[in-house]
Amino acid sequence: MPKYLTIKEPYPPGDFAIWIIVYVELLTFGLLFAGYAFSRRINLQMFNDSQLLLNQSIGFINTLILISSSFFIVKAVQKIKNETNENSYKSSIIASKWLLSAMLLGIIFLMLKLTEFSHLFEQGITLSTNTFFMFYLLLTMFHFMHVSLGVIILFNLHHKTKAQGYSQNDCRGLETGAIYWHLVDLLWIVLFPLVYIIR
Amino acid sequence: MKKIAERVWIVLILLSIFAFLLGYLKLVSTFVVGVLVLSTFLKGQLIIDYFMDLKEVRLKYRIIPTLWLILILLCITIAYYLPVVKN
Repeated sequence: MPKYLTIKEPYPPGDFAIWIIVYVELLTFGLLFAGYAFSRRINLQMFNDSQLLLNQSIGFINTLILISSSFFIVKAVQKIKNETNENSYKSSIIASKWLLSAMLLGIIFLMLKLTEFSHLFEQGITLSTNTFFMFYLLLTMFHFMHVSLGVIILFNLHHKTKAQGYSQNDCRGLETGAIYWHLVDLLWIVLFPLVYIIR
Repeated sequence: MKKIAERVWIVLILLSIFAFLLGYLKLVSTFVVGVLVLSTFLKGQLIIDYFMDLKEVRLKYRIIPTLWLILILLCITIAYYLPVVKN
């Protein structure tokens, strides 16, 4: 069948409520991203000087971590969706291991971010230091909270998957959690070049 | 087609390395920011299509995150290329 004639899925994967959350989060972060970009124009030198105090390497490692953890979750969902009656136990165990790996990467992300925050706080940098750090701390701390919630969600998904709580025909909960984690990844994909690289 | 997630993952990693090297080697210039924005769009769209699995979903659902990505990156680009406000 030609590609353009393929029938599209009527609804996106996961629970519909997660998509409402996704759209709201995209809007909220979008406003902050735009606010950062336009505020930068008002005091370009201050933004460029303040940006030098950030650790680009940690930002980069965190990017690799989030992309890889998102990939691991895709693998977990694929494993469950492709399971058969004969291999359902094995598929659940493998999927739970992918989820555990994704969760561990999420924890490493949080630890690296905490190191970055504590380094800045040691230098006396706070939300009120200047507009750059106000936006930087607001964006990254808000994102940090989302990753923290994501790790809790992944912990629960891991447990339920390990206990064979999802099957090929009933994995909506798993898909819902996965969409949340991909959202966190998508937000970081924009945040990283905007705050750490563009100058 | 079977290993599409793996391919997407590798492309995302490579584009991230590219972005990091631009910053690390201090190669970010007016032109390079445009390239960086385009590579960010590509990364975001790959996540939307293949990780969020919206590629095979009706356009009305797929278009919202894609439009968000275009709008945000457009805002960032406009803010970058507009003349700097002098205090």
